Amino acid sequence: MRSRRIRRARPVAVTLAVGALLLGGCSAGGGGASDDRGGGEPAEQRSPIEFADAEASTGPAEDVPGARKGGTLRVYQRDSYAHLDPAQIYVQDEMALAHLIHRKLTHVKLDNDGTYSVVGDLATDSGRPSDDGRTWTYTLKDDIRFEDGSPITSKDVRHTFERLFAPFITQGPTFVQQWMANKTGAAYRELLPDGPYEGDHLPDSVLETPDEKTIVFHFSEPRNDLPYALAMSGYAVVSAEKDTRQKYDKDPLASGPYKIESFRSGKSMKLVRNPEWDPKTDAARHQYVDGFDITFNHQYEDSTKRLLNDSGEARTAVSFTNAVDAGSYQRVMREAKDRTVSGYQSFVAQLAINTDRVEDVRVRQAIAYAFPSKPYLAPYGGPSGGELAGGLISPLLPGYEKDYDPFGKLKKPGGDPEKARELLEKAGKVGMKLTYAYRNSNEEQKASIAVADALEKAGFDVQRKELPTDTYYDLIGDVDNGYDIYVNNWGHDWSSISTVIPPLYDGREIQDGGSNYAHVDDPEINSRIDEVRGIADPEKSAKEWFELGKYILEEVTPAVPIFYYKHTQIAGSKVGGLVYNNDMSNLDVTKLYLKQ
Amino acid sequence: MLRFLMRRTLGAVVILLIISACTFFLFYAIPRDPALLHCGKTCDPESLEIIRRNLGLDKPLTEQYWAYMAGIFTGRDFAVGPCPAPCFGYSFASNEPVWGTILDRLPTTVSLALGGAVVFLLLGLGAGMLAAWRRGGFVDKFLSSVSLVLSSLQIYFVGPLAIALLVYQLDLFRQPEYVPITSSPVDWFAGLLIPWVVLSLIFTAQYTRMSRSTLIEQLGEDHVRAARAKGLSGRTVFFRYAWRGSLIPIVTIFGIDLGALFGGAMVTEFTFTLPGLGRLAVDSVLDTDLPMLMGVMLFAATMIVLFNILVDAVYALIDPRVRLS
Amino acid sequence: MSTWTETAGFEAPPDGDAFLSVRDLRVRFSTEDGTVHAVDGISFDLARGRTLGIVGESGSGKSVTGLSVLGLHDPRTTEVTGRVLLDGQEVIGAREKTLERLRGDTVAMVFQDSLTALSPYHTVGEQIAEPYRKHKGASRREARRRAIEMLDRVGIPNPRLRVDDHPHQFSGGMRQRAMIAMALVCDPDLLIADEPTTALDVTVQAQILDLLKDLQQEFGSAIVLITHDLGVVAETADDVLVMYAGRVVERGPAAEVLRSPRHPYTRGLLGSVPRLDGDVEEDLVPIPGFPPNLLDPPTGCAFHPRCAFVGEVGGTRCVDERPTPPAGRGAACHLTADRRRVLFAEQTDEQAAEQAAEQTEPRPR
Repeated sequence: MRSRRIRRARPVAVTLAVGALLLGGCSAGGGGASDDRGGGEPAEQRSPIEFADAEASTGPAEDVPGARKGGTLRVYQRDSYAHLDPAQIYVQDEMALAHLIHRKLTHVKLDNDGTYSVVGDLATDSGRPSDDGRTWTYTLKDDIRFEDGSPITSKDVRHTFERLFAPFITQGPTFVQQWMANKTGAAYRELLPDGPYEGDHLPDSVLETPDEKTIVFHFSEPRNDLPYALAMSGYAVVSAEKDTRQKYDKDPLASGPYKIESFRSGKSMKLVRNPEWDPKTDAARHQYVDGFDITFNHQYEDSTKRLLNDSGEARTAVSFTNAVDAGSYQRVMREAKDRTVSGYQSFVAQLAINTDRVEDVRVRQAIAYAFPSKPYLAPYGGPSGGELAGGLISPLLPGYEKDYDPFGKLKKPGGDPEKARELLEKAGKVGMKLTYAYRNSNEEQKASIAVADALEKAGFDVQRKELPTDTYYDLIGDVDNGYDIYVNNWGHDWSSISTVIPPLYDGREIQDGGSNYAHVDDPEINSRIDEVRGIADPEKSAKEWFELGKYILEEVTPAVPIFYYKHTQIAGSKVGGLVYNNDMSNLDVTKLYLKQ
Repeated sequence: MLRFLMRRTLGAVVILLIISACTFFLFYAIPRDPALLHCGKTCDPESLEIIRRNLGLDKPLTEQYWAYMAGIFTGRDFAVGPCPAPCFGYSFASNEPVWGTILDRLPTTVSLALGGAVVFLLLGLGAGMLAAWRRGGFVDKFLSSVSLVLSSLQIYFVGPLAIALLVYQLDLFRQPEYVPITSSPVDWFAGLLIPWVVLSLIFTAQYTRMSRSTLIEQLGEDHVRAARAKGLSGRTVFFRYAWRGSLIPIVTIFGIDLGALFGGAMVTEFTFTLPGLGRLAVDSVLDTDLPMLMGVMLFAATMIVLFNILVDAVYALIDPRVRLS
Repeated sequence: MSTWTETAGFEAPPDGDAFLSVRDLRVRFSTEDGTVHAVDGISFDLARGRTLGIVGESGSGKSVTGLSVLGLHDPRTTEVTGRVLLDGQEVIGAREKTLERLRGDTVAMVFQDSLTALSPYHTVGEQIAEPYRKHKGASRREARRRAIEMLDRVGIPNPRLRVDDHPHQFSGGMRQRAMIAMALVCDPDLLIADEPTTALDVTVQAQILDLLKDLQQEFGSAIVLITHDLGVVAETADDVLVMYAGRVVERGPAAEVLRSPRHPYTRGLLGSVPRLDGDVEEDLVPIPGFPPNLLDPPTGCAFHPRCAFVGEVGGTRCVDERPTPPAGRGAACHLTADRRRVLFAEQTDEQAAEQAAEQTEPRPR
């Protein structure tokens, strides 16, 4: 059976997507960790993304070299879009579409020289903080309109945030809502239980809209990540006048350079130029092609084959998010490398160690030394599917240090059983039983054998426990799950470690369905999380987050880094503007154009 | 005839009710919560509770089932929009009306099914007749071997192979796709040609063997021998007597096959990226999309039941011994 | 004119006067298990206006003989050798076109089971008219009129209405009549009736046999009546041919064979058939044993494994030596005529004694 994306928690989503990518068996098992970098690899990014000022936020966007206008781009997508209402958008392919049709207060812009910056999108700049980052002020640009010609005002922005609290909005990001309510989990909904639909509104102490152009956010705690968060598609603007509640999900009002002409769920979608979009108001997006002609149900093998063969309409075709399938990877690289882009995805595969059950840190470190990263990656396509990881932080995130490798995962990618056994002996736990849970996917089944072997070589008694793929994350998400070690994949929500460490390692977030899979509850981690959150300087914050990451991995060791996901995309020969965008985790859909 | 139709319709309704109940209640036996589909990255128990309420999953099962079944006849109103009868609800996954989605996918499936059926009937029955006519001879042995090879092929193997060869290598055919016949009959035909042929390969083999064996069996019938004893020529006997008799088992199987194809040819639809009902069915299972699954299952079951009634009516045309009462 | 001249025999040339002349007919079917010797060298002659009864158990080859006369065997699975002369025309090895011309016109066949032998898909009228149109070149309307006429002649009431009925709408007896009508529609010179009355009850059986006799008188056809029922033979046939294991074991004028059978098998058959006119109390005497396996027929006399008199013949002749098939009146048996007479008489006495003994004891009911 074909694996397929389950529209659920993002980690699940991506593992399945990668599973599908590898249908047809693993390719080239060999190759080391960081020595093999695919083509089009982005420059390593370690310094934080800059919050840009009004000048950088002013349109029009700098032209893509060689770009011309005209033509309709064919797009092959695997999954149909389930959601068009921005408030429900949280999965990668819908986010890619959202970049074309929806606009937000801020946006992560990728310049021609490869630098990223957070710019004002509907707002004139990336936001003006005050009160140590507890208050953020935004001013709307002039000449911003919805596709029906109505101007976008602060009223629409207020409505956009208020409707996030309505019970029917369940799928989008919840960061800003939680910050507004200063609550964790789903408790933020109590702030405005019915959304704006029963006459209640957010008080001025939370969200202030003094005039048509001004929006002021008030938080109880410093929220220095707000410009990043507001760049998420989930916070794109919804018209207050034309909000049709649940029905908006099918027929939203576009604010971006393109609007939906027709959508047949499960079959096709046509995008055409939105004449109400004014390039002078947009610092990042273009309107090069006349439209996009999207069809769904193209498995990775199918889209890859069509694009690789490059005949007929496939010459002017691309896929926003489909990757090159592992079976075709070698051929694509041999025959059409110049038509590909590749890069890291936001996801990091790691082995969570249940600290409730494996209490001795020496035992956890023994697991970390023993874990065979390279054999584990092999079923995922080896270097085409990912790059071996030394730490838990993605190379895409500011603060990342390239050669960080405390457990020798890069130097000894097959594992270090001797070192592990030494530690295990010190702890007096040789022969300790370890229950290892893994998904019953092809890749995981293959990988699990290598993992069990390596751990047994180190002196563990490994009990393998296979779990159904569909419910895997629910089962390991239970606090009392009964397993000792299990792999999970986590992706950051924006370019900050703040969307990685707190959800995964904050002891106060332990709950059923939560993402602290290791159940690590370390007072030092908890207090340092609060500390670093308060740092306003992005440079310093990034460094501190990474330092905290070092402490977590080396001193507490609740997880073992395995690999950073990577993928490669291919386009038809007439498609120009192929650029990999780290922030989007796929090619930049706003830069595409058709060559003559 | 009227009594026949009434009785069969009643039977069909009972069967469909059983199928709907089985589908509905078995769905809840799947250890997977449809609410998870709508739960974002931060999926805590409270959020799940809200989603269950939104989807109406918080009500007792029997109540949900009753509301669903009643909705088919009376229509329902959902927050996402109204749902006039026949209302099969709104998809959990796409939020589209189920009935609308089925109607939207139907032309693809029907085109695929009918075109495929024409191909495999022509090829299969033709080859079967030829083999039976020349039974024991070279032609028979050749056709039997070919059909054996064909029946052991798989669509997901032949399909990509056919595309690789006919589309990419030789450039003889178009990339398979569905174009409505109303917008361009030529593109419709050209786009479905490879799927038709590939879909019909296995059926062709099956119909070749079946029509061959039933024809040979019919040729051994007493009345066929009696017809020959009257001095009728081999050809007359073959077509007027033996062929007629062989139609009954063929029509039976054809009815079931066509009914099933109208419910969607899953493998073919997946292989050629054709958005038909089969794909919808598989997707609805993968998406834990109960309303869509129910809708597609009921539709497919209705098709099979309907074609079975049709087959019985056709029996009466073929065999005067069958009375529709 | 007799059915066969006394000299007509195994090696005798075909009788020029006979309408049907069969010489050394052998039919072998190849099956997966081996070759079945269904008919193993039989010869007979039949003149116009005469009725020949061929009797024997199932599997004795009598039906196969009938089909051979029409050349109806599938050449792919059957090997037919010998000669079958039909009105001077050689049937074996003849071209299919020639056979098609003969079938239904010169020679017609009535099958045992009218339910399966009539096509369920066509009306009775169509099926009767079909050969008439083919052989006589009649128009559709003429053929239909002829069909009605034939139905009338075989005694179907309301033939004008019934002509459009399908066979399943007829009763068993009517269907059999309809099939006779179908066989006789072209006034054939030879009618082969294969167990024409077996499936019918006794009254209808008698009616059908009378019908055949009447029609024979009217058309002057020759009839080959294939049956396992000696009662039917007694009533209808002029001459009789008793077959066993694909061979002729006894032949002669019907009355004579039935009155004083010469072959132990014929005698056994007579004992095992309830007679319409016989004593009801008289018990049937089934022939012990089973019909031979034709894939591997017994050596010598095919009947020897079941024969009560094997010991009466000197040495192992019955096992080793194949008795000569009779020419004219006679039986293929190694017993001499005198010895046979003595033995048959003894056997009858024994049976009578046994029955008497049984009747004195209360019969278990």
